[in-house]
Amino acid sequence: MSSRLAADGNSADVIQVDNLVKRYDELVAVNGISFEVHRGEIFGILGPNGAGKTTSVEILEGMRVADSGMALVNGIDVRRHPRAVKSIIGVQLQSVQFFDQLKLHELVNLFGALYSQKVDARELLARVDLTEKQDAMYKTLSGGQKQRLSVAVALVNDPVVLFLDEPTTGLDPQARRHMWELISSIRDSGATIVLTTHYMEEAEELCDRVAIMDAGEIVRLGSPAELVEELLATGFSKDREVRPADLEDVFIHHTGHALREDS
Amino acid sequence: MSIYVALTVASLKMYFRNWQGIFWSLFFPAVIMVIFGFINFGGFNAPDVGVVDQSQTPISTRLTVLLDFFVSDEALDLTVGTEEDLTKLLENGDLDVIFIIPEGFAETDAKSVVSVRADIRKPQEKAVALAVLNASLNRLLEEIEETPPEFILSNRFGISESSVEVDEEEFSDFLVPGIAAMAIMQAGIFGVVFSLVRFRAQGVLRRLFATPIGANHFLVGQVITRLTIALMQAYILLIAGAIILDVSVGGSAAAWLSLSVLALLGGALFISLGLVISGWAKTEDTAAPVSNIIALPMMFMSGIFFPTDVLPNALQNFVQFLPLTYLADGMREAALDGSSLLELGPELLGLGIWTVALFALATRVFKWE
Repeated sequence: MSSRLAADGNSADVIQVDNLVKRYDELVAVNGISFEVHRGEIFGILGPNGAGKTTSVEILEGMRVADSGMALVNGIDVRRHPRAVKSIIGVQLQSVQFFDQLKLHELVNLFGALYSQKVDARELLARVDLTEKQDAMYKTLSGGQKQRLSVAVALVNDPVVLFLDEPTTGLDPQARRHMWELISSIRDSGATIVLTTHYMEEAEELCDRVAIMDAGEIVRLGSPAELVEELLATGFSKDREVRPADLEDVFIHHTGHALREDS
Repeated sequence: MSIYVALTVASLKMYFRNWQGIFWSLFFPAVIMVIFGFINFGGFNAPDVGVVDQSQTPISTRLTVLLDFFVSDEALDLTVGTEEDLTKLLENGDLDVIFIIPEGFAETDAKSVVSVRADIRKPQEKAVALAVLNASLNRLLEEIEETPPEFILSNRFGISESSVEVDEEEFSDFLVPGIAAMAIMQAGIFGVVFSLVRFRAQGVLRRLFATPIGANHFLVGQVITRLTIALMQAYILLIAGAIILDVSVGGSAAAWLSLSVLALLGGALFISLGLVISGWAKTEDTAAPVSNIIALPMMFMSGIFFPTDVLPNALQNFVQFLPLTYLADGMREAALDGSSLLELGPELLGLGIWTVALFALATRVFKWE
């Protein structure tokens, strides 16, 4: 994965988005957003449900066509060459299942074939901690395991950019932390990652830069630290005392950090 | 190419891992076949009666009129003709019983004997026909002698019965190839509709859409899988019919070739129809009724359970163009008469046109999500 990034890393920005607009009938889902994603970073798109995160990402993935504006992925115009973009990116979609009658290694090999790539299913599944499950049917997996499989499948074509759409929604705290470790390790191997989330602690933990979306527009963009500084500079202070631990820390402390067999 | 292979292999694997699905797709048509095969609907038909008048006198003509009267009273049809013609019809199975009024009928005091020839396999029809003949002779005797007939009938008129071996298709012969055709339709429409609607609901299709493949990659894989299934199903049902119901299916290699080509073409047709339906129907709730609205009328009008010639003429003109009619007719000809591909030209042409049109439509209405 890191090899390709190093090889064609001539441009600093792997994604360039300029004034993208998408309407559904009366609803303006994406209202003129512009941003860049740098090579090798984890870029977060934050926002409440319905903010337009998923629509924005799906336009970049070549799955939806914007009404106006321009999006380049690795220099390729998504609107004009959606399949060329699809072949160099990896995607994990929200609420998507896989063929439930196939075994995990069969699914990984099948998706490899769809990109005309020979893949080492064993190695990919090991990377997402699913080695013991490689001969299991998809339908026998837990929620966290399904989510990790979808990451493995997203990596079959050694993608230039990995898109993760709410990768930890619906997971329990252990599975979420496990997914965070996985995402960090993928970034450490050199990939660029675009992820959407509505969990702020996830963005703080993982993202190099974040764009905060609301009602189809980007209202703030910067590194988490910068955005916090910016807010504090306005004289903002929390009205509640911040405790050194919270309930999630208690939960993790008592139930253990390790991943459960079924999570 | 490898994309087509990978998707086809994957969908075949999924199908053969779903044992319940395989069981039900064979069980339902097999049960229908056995039940209807043993009930033998052919036995319930009203008899078709013919009369040969070799006497051509006023009295014999009067008997024919009386027969016609009583026969139509029983809601039956009476065919009048020469002995040669009617015997041929009897042997073909187009008539069940013929009466032959001999020369010089009732002209002397000697006993006149009406011959009755009946299809050996149809005792019920023969009994009905004999009752009609007796009633007609009674009335005739009343008219010509004004004597209570019960005392005299046996003196004046006699009936001689004989049976004829008939070379007609049994009902089960008719049924088995039709059921195989019906099973191909069911597997094509319902198999495709339900798996596609499920894949769409699970988001599997959306995930495939995120890869660089085109719709045709996915559709071709589906079609090949379903064709394999259609062919297997047709063979299993035909062979089961041959064994259980003693139907002589496809005597020659040419007949089996015809059956295979028909099963594949018919399979492609109904798979395309299933793809069209699943393109239109958004959810399982609409897909099921829409599939049934299309499949059920064909099941009953395309000559699966009874020949299309019992339908009103206007309807016959319409149903002859239905996809299932082409498939059922073709499979019946191939299975029973051993027709070669050349002889099946009209059926193959009809199936071909439907298939091309429906597949073209399917690629247009296909939706990933």
